[in-house]
Amino acid sequence: MKIKHLLLVFAIAATPLSHAQTTKTADVDSLGTVGHELMDDSDFTFTESQLGENDDLTADVIRITSNSNVYLNQIGWAWSGIWFKYRALDNSCSDTYMNGVQVNNPENGRFSYSTIGGMNDAVRNREDVSPFEANNFSFSGIGGGSNYNLRASQMPAGHKVTLSGANRSYTLRGMYSYGSGLSKDGWAFFGTVGYRWANMQTAAVKGTFYNSLSFFLSLQKVWGEKHSLNLAAWASPTERATAGATTDEASWLANDYLYNPNWGYQNGEKRASRVITNFEPSFLLTWDYNIKENMKLTTSAFLKWAEYKSTNLYYSGTNPKPDYWKRFPSYYYNVWGNGNGQNDDFDAFWSSYEKWQDERYRQINFDELYFANTQLNKIGADAIYWIEARHNDHLMTNLSSTYDWNFSKGQKWSVGVQLLSTRSSHYKTMDDLLGGQYFHNTNTHLVGDYQQTAAEAMYDVNHGYQRIVEGDRFGYDYNIWNQDVKLWTSFSMDKGIQHNYIAGRIGGRRMWREGFMCNGLFQNNSYGKSGIAHFLDGGLKMGSTINLGKGHAISAGVGYELKAPKSYVAFMCPEMNNDYVQNLRNEKVVSAELGYAISNKWLRLNLGGYYYYTHDGNDWQQFFNDDSHSFTYNSLNGIKKEYYGVELGIRLRITSSLDVVALGTYSEAKYIENTNVYWMNSNTTQINSDICYNKGMREGGTPLAAVSLGLNYRIKRWYLNVTGNYYDRMYLYYSPNMRYASTLKIRYNKDDVSEYDAPQQARGNGGFMLDASIGRQFQVAHHPLSINLQLCNLTNRRNITTGGYEQSRSNYSVKERVENSETQFVKDKERNYQFDKNPKKFYTLGFNFMLNVNYRF
Amino acid sequence: MKTKSFIIALLVSAFALTSCMDKDWETPAYMTVLPSYGNNYLVAGTPTTIAELQSKYASTISALASKQITDDLWLRCVVTGNDMGSNIYKQISVQDETGGIIIGINGSDQGAFMPVGQKLLIRLQGLYIGGYGEQAQIGSLYNGSIGRMEVSEWVQHVRLIMDGMAEAVAFGTMKVDTIEFDASKTMAQQAGRVVHLSGVTISGGGTQIIAPDDGTVDLISNCVNRTISGGNAGDKCVLRTSPYADFKGIALPNGPVELYGIATYFKGTWQILARTQSDLAWVK
Repeated sequence: MKIKHLLLVFAIAATPLSHAQTTKTADVDSLGTVGHELMDDSDFTFTESQLGENDDLTADVIRITSNSNVYLNQIGWAWSGIWFKYRALDNSCSDTYMNGVQVNNPENGRFSYSTIGGMNDAVRNREDVSPFEANNFSFSGIGGGSNYNLRASQMPAGHKVTLSGANRSYTLRGMYSYGSGLSKDGWAFFGTVGYRWANMQTAAVKGTFYNSLSFFLSLQKVWGEKHSLNLAAWASPTERATAGATTDEASWLANDYLYNPNWGYQNGEKRASRVITNFEPSFLLTWDYNIKENMKLTTSAFLKWAEYKSTNLYYSGTNPKPDYWKRFPSYYYNVWGNGNGQNDDFDAFWSSYEKWQDERYRQINFDELYFANTQLNKIGADAIYWIEARHNDHLMTNLSSTYDWNFSKGQKWSVGVQLLSTRSSHYKTMDDLLGGQYFHNTNTHLVGDYQQTAAEAMYDVNHGYQRIVEGDRFGYDYNIWNQDVKLWTSFSMDKGIQHNYIAGRIGGRRMWREGFMCNGLFQNNSYGKSGIAHFLDGGLKMGSTINLGKGHAISAGVGYELKAPKSYVAFMCPEMNNDYVQNLRNEKVVSAELGYAISNKWLRLNLGGYYYYTHDGNDWQQFFNDDSHSFTYNSLNGIKKEYYGVELGIRLRITSSLDVVALGTYSEAKYIENTNVYWMNSNTTQINSDICYNKGMREGGTPLAAVSLGLNYRIKRWYLNVTGNYYDRMYLYYSPNMRYASTLKIRYNKDDVSEYDAPQQARGNGGFMLDASIGRQFQVAHHPLSINLQLCNLTNRRNITTGGYEQSRSNYSVKERVENSETQFVKDKERNYQFDKNPKKFYTLGFNFMLNVNYRF
Repeated sequence: MKTKSFIIALLVSAFALTSCMDKDWETPAYMTVLPSYGNNYLVAGTPTTIAELQSKYASTISALASKQITDDLWLRCVVTGNDMGSNIYKQISVQDETGGIIIGINGSDQGAFMPVGQKLLIRLQGLYIGGYGEQAQIGSLYNGSIGRMEVSEWVQHVRLIMDGMAEAVAFGTMKVDTIEFDASKTMAQQAGRVVHLSGVTISGGGTQIIAPDDGTVDLISNCVNRTISGGNAGDKCVLRTSPYADFKGIALPNGPVELYGIATYFKGTWQILARTQSDLAWVK
């Protein structure tokens, strides 16, 4: 009984940690299909695309755990404060299933954890597997996989109320869940409802708020021992204001590492410009058929309709965002000492510094924007400032069936099929004209080259010179279709001291685009359907664990996989036309892993190493290119990368109530060859090829080295934990554009450039963070009441970076085109502002806490 | 029963908790009387006119010098040109019934805050006036000459007068009509005003666009100058257009046309600055 309670307390203590939400939850929402932080331009770059504009930064992190591996079991919550990425892998490298059906979004391969936020009790029951671990639900990716069990009969029976308070992205959380258990007549029900809240006065990051309701219902009917049918439905309608990354200069001027430029005052009230609204109702029907005692068929059908929109302040004149680079003191004076001093203006520098001391200057002045638009109304002109909403909706219909056969002791065979179809809808709407009357559906970057009313400048020739009012679609409007078929199988077998397994998969993917606007620059290939692209892919992997006796074991695994490209990297400029990128082909992944484990009464140890090699990879980005006064769409292909590292996890039991957990990893994740790139600007139809000198660039947004030492103490229903973590080798997402041969030629004013001319990758700050947790369980009215207080970053280290990215702008302006030249532009003047010294960064919260109380009855 | 209770609790929670935080924001009502631009605390003192101002500082202007205005003078005027067409750069032109003048402001999108027709009350004391190529200009001191003032300085010296304000009455029936261009007029008589030219021919007509940025035409201080001749253009008149102008790609006409623009004067040459495409009357 005592052990049960201890486990319960431990579980309760661990839960808030594993679901903790910090700054990035609130602010990261970047691009997948590249969103538009339009012309701040720098905000809307490749880097943010990698962070996953559609979701959260959380979407970029793989939540993995394993009961058989101390390292995997612990890193999920121990390093959540820094948004540690398992093996520096993107979320899309891990497969997520629910009752056996895959739920990753095929467009970008990612699973959005935000869709199951606030329903913790419903999603606690899941099976996680490491990349080379046998399982009966998938051929898992190189980041492992998870299968959530959402069957009502598998949920805990009884009531549970949870109340939480925190100073993070949300301030209050309340959850209630109820499970009926399986009744005698074969019915089971489970439901949970949760709410998370923070307003602009209470949220940890200024100018953000959080407003999220979650509900989950699961109803199951069991017929005898053979059949069961379960219907689960859930949704987490959420509205939240997000923050943005910031430069060191902005943090310094605002005296706040969490400086957030995405809000301002309107009529004395705080208003956020970047608000994400999502509603993604999901339905899952599962039929379990126990054919025999050792034979089972699981079939699931999944339906999800996701509505997601993210707003953004945009403009057709001058960038009104407070962190626009021309508003900084360093725009007026080269503070780095590497300029020629000709443009330095110290008075303006000082004047700018003084302006930044005023909060009204360093935040958006909505009143001014409204005033400008109302002035323009008087002369019948278009609004020049507005808030637009980028929509990324999708309708996902998936079907899976898995057959398991334990045909003899220690021998299991599973085979499954997955049919996935997703229609993703991407369009932009006018969310708020900020007092303006209308706006025309015109590509303002083309005005000048073409008349404003010319067909070439129209976003939609079919509607002519169209006035846009609030609620109208404009800019772009298209669907991307993805249809996948996957057949997979795995076989595992115990033989003597060995446990062996082998798994394989084969699949097909087809995709196409369907445009609903006839873009003026691409009148022949933007409206209607594109051609259909087909890919055949598959993989094979195998592994073995050898039990050496006395608790010692070694394990090894190898794999090879062909991965069809994701549709979000497949189109050259999907916002404008139907064209696929050039040289689109399957990515190849070679993977290997070796591990050693000790498990006995007082020690559990896992030591492992891994090596992944990928080639023919693809990536895609868009950003506002200051030099060409247009958006640039870039497709990187033929990417070659290596990922390797060592991982160590130790749990040492010192006494029956005290144990020590030590974790460590040192890894590498980098490009090993320079990459071909094709790019085009949104004001031309010409596709250019170039080479990107990105050899040696590391994966960003995660420390590549981390260690942790924790003490756990349990006695008399008390639980105490103190953990110290140290992070290092944190890189920021690099800017490919700054490493193109053509860019370097202009930068150094020479025709012969190489990878040695490419700038060093920007880095973030690592550092030490101390966390603690204390919990206690009580009996109230014969039912358990648990209280847990989690204290994070006790030493209040605020300068530790959790991610960020380089800006894709040059330190110089360019002047006229050079005819018949590869460089096209030549350098004009050096700027005072040094973009390469001003990467944008996210920082950890300072000291933060979460108090969690729950009561079961 | 418990299941029913749960569902009821869920629905109640759903309705009770899901109100939007990001409300529907309305245009602040005060904007019609209290602009979010400029200095709403300014109250006019001794009035002056553009003609009086240019006369008072005529020697400074003609000497291409600059001088700070120290008298407590106030100017009531109307905006006639700005950066709306991306041709006039960091300047606005204003007129009253006596003349026109250029005001240099180191800021973009000024046309959105001060569109054509906007009434302004300007406190001149503390600002500089001078001659830039003999063109009268109000601004700030820059390397000893007249230059653009920072927006932060400008907004302390200007009050936007909206219809309905008591101050609007003082403008009375001020007319800022377009005048026919006359090359024989002096800078003080014509510069800074909206002018109309008719029956004029523009060099490059029939073959080129107004302001190409591909190197085919030499830029003069970052702009393309097209000679205007015939009609009422006189013998030293150019159409001056930035390669960043929204109408830079308009084809030049091959024949006599009419056009409008702000007349500026630079070292003996009249430079006509079209404000937007609508000033180019031949463009349909």
